[in-house]
Amino acid sequence: MHLKKKVIAGVVAAGVGLTASAAFADDIRVGITMRMVSENGQAYGQMVMDEIDAINASGGINGNMIKATLMNDECKSDKGVANANKLIFQEKIHLLIGSTCSSVSLPIVDVTAKAGVAQMIPHSTNAKITQKGSEWVFRIPVSGRYYGGVNAKYVGENIGTKIAYICAADAASVGDCANMEKQMRSRFGVDPAYRADVQEKEVDFRSHMQKIKSANVDGILVAALAETMARALVQSYEAGIGEDVRRIGSSSASNAPVPKIAGDAAKGVFFTAAYAAADDRPIAKLFNEMTRQRYGIHAPDHDFSQAYDLVRIMEMALKSTDLELSSSSLAADRTAIRDAIASVEGYEGLASGPISFCAAPTPQCRDGNRTAVLIGYTKGGEDFETEVLARVTMEPDFGLE
Amino acid sequence: MGFDYNSLLAFIIFGVTIGVVYGIVALGISLIYSGLDIVHFAHGEMYMFGAFFGLVLAHNVGLPYPVALIGAMVLTALLGMAVERVFYRRLTRAGGGYTVAGMGMIICGFGMSVALVNVAYFIWGAEAEPFRANLDYIPRLQFSGDIEVPESYVLTAIISVVLMAGLHYFLRHTKTGLAVRAVAHNKDIAYLMGINVPLMISLIFGLACGLAAAAGVLIGPMQSVQVEMGYLMLMKAFAAAVVGGFGSLPGAILGGIMVGVFENLGAAYISPSHKDIYAFLLLILVLMFKPSGLLGIEAKVKA
Repeated sequence: MHLKKKVIAGVVAAGVGLTASAAFADDIRVGITMRMVSENGQAYGQMVMDEIDAINASGGINGNMIKATLMNDECKSDKGVANANKLIFQEKIHLLIGSTCSSVSLPIVDVTAKAGVAQMIPHSTNAKITQKGSEWVFRIPVSGRYYGGVNAKYVGENIGTKIAYICAADAASVGDCANMEKQMRSRFGVDPAYRADVQEKEVDFRSHMQKIKSANVDGILVAALAETMARALVQSYEAGIGEDVRRIGSSSASNAPVPKIAGDAAKGVFFTAAYAAADDRPIAKLFNEMTRQRYGIHAPDHDFSQAYDLVRIMEMALKSTDLELSSSSLAADRTAIRDAIASVEGYEGLASGPISFCAAPTPQCRDGNRTAVLIGYTKGGEDFETEVLARVTMEPDFGLE
Repeated sequence: MGFDYNSLLAFIIFGVTIGVVYGIVALGISLIYSGLDIVHFAHGEMYMFGAFFGLVLAHNVGLPYPVALIGAMVLTALLGMAVERVFYRRLTRAGGGYTVAGMGMIICGFGMSVALVNVAYFIWGAEAEPFRANLDYIPRLQFSGDIEVPESYVLTAIISVVLMAGLHYFLRHTKTGLAVRAVAHNKDIAYLMGINVPLMISLIFGLACGLAAAAGVLIGPMQSVQVEMGYLMLMKAFAAAVVGGFGSLPGAILGGIMVGVFENLGAAYISPSHKDIYAFLLLILVLMFKPSGLLGIEAKVKA
């Protein structure tokens, strides 16, 4: 009787194991962790899933379907790391996409490096992400080190060199401020006329604006997440700082909540990003129409374009490689996917320039997009409008000195 | 170059204005505490709901800003009374302070805070909403040099004074106000005197929540409206209430102003990076020298 029970238990366990293996076989498992707190965030998360569904609907990747798991990290590093661990070790994904916040992407780099899983980053600009030297990381958005250079050159040559800095504590804004300051110092030999390091969700900038007003600056750089930036812009006008003092946004300025919340205060603000809704290329116009119809997005920002380009690059890379997709080949498949992404060269999509990667675990190889677009808001509010001021492609080494 | 007195004046003015908003929220907290001997930890969410009610009335319904303010106060007062009646009534009847009911009220308040935040997320989502108010009829003030006080700040100061005066008049010069004070003093004796104590308790809650709503609507045009705005305001308002003397209504306003000014001066002259710390530093300083708060009454509990 005791032996019979053991045999039955063994058969059941074997059956469960076989079923689990069967469930893990054949599908390419992709884990996605993104900030999906706002309406825009939920929309581009959904867009990624829809694009993957479309790939599956047209036959998948070399006959294999992509099984995608989407998780919301709320732009919180502890949640992002927990999501990454769950996706890698429980879901046994082949590839991780994420995150959209630098403060989340940074710690996840260590997780994917240790686990040996390729990580494709849809939108995080902090330069340190690729400077960590991980061979598993691929950045689709433009790195903050490029943005700093473009901003500094335009500001110094067109606006002036007496610039006030308001820098919020989130990782992207810290990076943007540091890059801008470094470039202004090296190009023009100037330090910030005023600098304030504020909390990530600061609500009251009036004491800073009063001091900035007294300093008679040429421009104000506001490096913060979207809602915080919008508040700072509004309060800069309330403090009596006129339009002649140009407002410069960090990369978050491209997010729709900025002009929506800031209203008229967004007019005249310029920033560098990877994509402009005002782009007149046919591919951009088609993309704008698609997001408007499918997701009700008035003017997609680079969060959308970069997520879209990421899916296209992922598709290219996966189709170019042979994957066994069994439970015993997990490590080998993950490595093959990494190598396939590293071989992507000259991808032309919504990004304003080509995206290329290479094998070395260096920022030069893993910051795939080197073309920044200088964009200005011509109108704020719900129906905001933008114009493209310039497009600049940087050298791979730029900002690494 | 000498010390910039103009900037100092500006920081004090901004600090007083924001401090008055803290004071209004703290007034509500102190009102509930003085009346019911309980600490209401969901008060920040009443402030948040008030801001959203004001936003909906002003933007969606199209009411003028002052009318939206009154409407938001009424709606939030009703919400507060409904919450008290349905969820808190048994606990408020059983007493507060160090009783089991008092501790239960604290836990209930935390739970209500979480519940209200999630309801707000469900209704309005996570995005910050701009609160554009037409304040053209309010003058922008200019002080010496180049200090400009925006219209929203001027309006905040005016409305805060009106609210405080109104509350003072209500409590001191009306029959209902007298009944509220009697309940606050001793519920049992108030019962014996024929006062409808449960109604007065609901009224205290309603008043306090209405004041929180006013603060939310006043802050809206300055800072935008967001579901998460209640938490930090609650912390600052508590600090203000404790600094001024927990349970003291004049103390709540004084505490709020002190917190606002201290915070602005700290951010301006020490470091802006940790602005929220200054309110609590002030709290610690005051408690070190006057544990009952600036205008609080020291009560000795006999063993």
